[in-house]
Amino acid sequence: MAANPGEIAKRLFEGVMGPLVLGGALRPGHAIGARAALALGGDGTMDGLDASLFDRVQTARVRRARMLTPVDTVDLPAPPEWAMAAALHDVLQSANPSLDAALRRKAAARILELAHQTLERVPPPAHAGDALSRHTWFARVLDVAREDTSVSWWTGSRVFRGVPPPGRLKAWPNLRRVNVVTTPRPLLELEPLAVDREKLAEAVTLLLARTPLTDLATCARTAPPFAWSEGTLALVGTRAGRTLALRALARVAVTWVDVALGRATRELLTHKRATAAPAIALLAERTLALAQTAPGSLGGRPDGAFARGLGAAAALRMLRAEDSEWPEDERRRLIRVLESAARTDAVREAAAMLEGAS
Amino acid sequence: MNPVLERIALHQTRLHTPGLGLDAKGVALGAKGLVLLPSIDRLVAFLAVYTRERSLEDLMPSLVMHVVRSKLGTREITLEVAAESSDRMDRLADTARLVGGFAFTGTSRHFVQYRDAAAPFGYDATELLSTDAALLLYHDRFSQTYDVERPIGLRPLLLRLMPHVDPSTKDEPGLRILVAEQGLGPALVHYLVRSRVEGDVGVAEWPPESAFDDAPVRRWVLRVPELPDRMRQLVHGTPGITAFVPVGPGVAVEAGYRHPIELRACPVFEAAGLVLVRGRGDEPWAIAKLPPMGALSAFARVELRATGGEASVATGAAPAETVRVPLRVTPSSGPWRNVTATWVAPEQLPLLRKLAYALPHATVAQARIAVTTRGAFVRSAAGIEAVPLGTFFVEVHPGLYVPAGHEVTPAVAPEVLARALAAPASQVLFLTTQGRAITVEDGAFVPLETALLEAPPWEPVVAEAIERALDEEPLRLEVTSAGMMPLRGVEPQQG
Repeated sequence: MAANPGEIAKRLFEGVMGPLVLGGALRPGHAIGARAALALGGDGTMDGLDASLFDRVQTARVRRARMLTPVDTVDLPAPPEWAMAAALHDVLQSANPSLDAALRRKAAARILELAHQTLERVPPPAHAGDALSRHTWFARVLDVAREDTSVSWWTGSRVFRGVPPPGRLKAWPNLRRVNVVTTPRPLLELEPLAVDREKLAEAVTLLLARTPLTDLATCARTAPPFAWSEGTLALVGTRAGRTLALRALARVAVTWVDVALGRATRELLTHKRATAAPAIALLAERTLALAQTAPGSLGGRPDGAFARGLGAAAALRMLRAEDSEWPEDERRRLIRVLESAARTDAVREAAAMLEGAS
Repeated sequence: MNPVLERIALHQTRLHTPGLGLDAKGVALGAKGLVLLPSIDRLVAFLAVYTRERSLEDLMPSLVMHVVRSKLGTREITLEVAAESSDRMDRLADTARLVGGFAFTGTSRHFVQYRDAAAPFGYDATELLSTDAALLLYHDRFSQTYDVERPIGLRPLLLRLMPHVDPSTKDEPGLRILVAEQGLGPALVHYLVRSRVEGDVGVAEWPPESAFDDAPVRRWVLRVPELPDRMRQLVHGTPGITAFVPVGPGVAVEAGYRHPIELRACPVFEAAGLVLVRGRGDEPWAIAKLPPMGALSAFARVELRATGGEASVATGAAPAETVRVPLRVTPSSGPWRNVTATWVAPEQLPLLRKLAYALPHATVAQARIAVTTRGAFVRSAAGIEAVPLGTFFVEVHPGLYVPAGHEVTPAVAPEVLARALAAPASQVLFLTTQGRAITVEDGAFVPLETALLEAPPWEPVVAEAIERALDEEPLRLEVTSAGMMPLRGVEPQQG
């Protein structure tokens, strides 16, 4: 029996999409499935939504977008965004600890598989505005964490996963020697897990690939590791997309961005050298911006040296090009700064790889 | 006896006198200091001189006085205190020298002469006397042994001393304690009540003065903070009324007399009680614990009508004959009292601004100002004389001000005037010399110190507030039931 799309949309919006933007508790409900997910966003989908909540969510999305670009409005959720949200809903539900039981693990795996299927059918963003719109929905997707509460008392203990412990267990804390420890567990560190952890990570990676601006903005994450995808390369291949990406990266610690981008770009140059030009352009512009505003930050951790070196080598090539549009004085100053920062083995290695790439 | 003392030399470490040691300055010092005085009057002189500049409080814990008797039968006085430091001993020795006494130091029985100009490090007794006497004093002019005859208590000594006649104390301002005999008490209380003199009154009891009296002696004790000058003659000259001037916590001396010793420096009187030292050799009146005191106003005479009903009930209402007259504010020759406000006209405001730089902190801190279209009104409960500007006002009733040097006619009571003006409690009312009333909202008065300073412009730091407002709530994944059939209705995409 297929559920009404309006009801699913209402449940999805109030349980996942709204809190994902506004913060608070995400309450995934019954699994949605690929067919229903891809059917969302049509006529009547939004009829049953709470208007007040919707307005607050749209305002928060504008605030999120204005961190990167001065827009005053954001579009209504598009069908791909509904589908991605529904897929996220199912990914979260597949990690439900109650499914980690005999005869139920298959159901969890099936839900995750359908979420994967949904995400595969979501098209990449058509333009930078589309990427920005998706980013306003999923910017905090990696912040989702389940609070596991361990309650111990004089005669026993219990763990409550994702639900608050009942008050009776916390009563008379001194007499019963009650000890309550709450541990936040990020999505990819949940346990017990009814599904294969790698498949869960794959689903999250696929979701990030469908929102490339979020993928780049969270490149300093620990898991899943950042890697250049078609979506991110396509985004930074455009002028507007690159600007958005640079602004998003500027909000993250320089060192961690260098490490993540350096590792991903080295891999890209090794395996898909032909597609690396947008990534190199991004690094070059980023290094130029640093050389112009904060030359001292061109140092940093050694494992970030590759990204800086590659960016410096590419930036030097841009500055030395005959059609360079930089003012002459500024161009010479930047070349001096970059050359002084580019006397390392990492930079020479990067320059050699860059020569090979061109 | 022959002198057996020798001067202590610089860096000398070995001393013969038991209990004698050297302090940090190298001065010979025992655990105690002892002052030998030839007679009681010298002891009184010693105490009078000592207490003139400092309190006996630090000496009291260790202060012991004795009458001692020498082998020849002469009686002398010793005063022993703990010799905590050479500074304390220097003061005692100087005072003793002034009144003809001798200062010694020692620990138990052997006391050697305390240092003087001839021996800046003190003296040591090279030959100790062998005797059972309680005290052995070694001086460069004599060595003497004494036996203790009896102790002398400081409080009994102070109470036995007769105060000197000193009429000037009658005119000293401040608190007065009046003691009236039982028959005079009510009359005195009513007189003070009628004269609107504020104070407290209580009745104290003393034991019967003789075995023939079977009832305790009751006297009225009145505490009057400010006795009007015109009543001084009455309380000082009326037999049966005795005025006392407080001279310390728990002790007062009869007006017209002065105690030879500064009693304020002698902490031997309980603050909860009262000792009234009388002149003429009369024994002091002591009250171990002050009786409950009530306000004088509570003793106002009340009279009850002997005849007639409880109240005369009006049987009808007729239009009252108008007797109201307009209020006038006329110059008065009375003294200026309670001048606590000033009205600074608008044209004088620049002058007030300039004056602000010269105002003392106390004035700036206490004064409150309300700036109106009619000028600035400045109020200060402690007096407004420090702001020599504008028209001064006297607060005749809470929130009601009359120009200083003026009075209201008809001469109604301030309460009546306030009631007639019917100004709300939230309004402060100023009567002008023309008889007009200006009201200023009480809330309009702000501390002068906050109104004075024209601080440079500043910008509120709102970044933190904005940051808090934009703070993002954490994303908490709450686990909900997946249901018995988690896959019900979940379908893949076809095609």
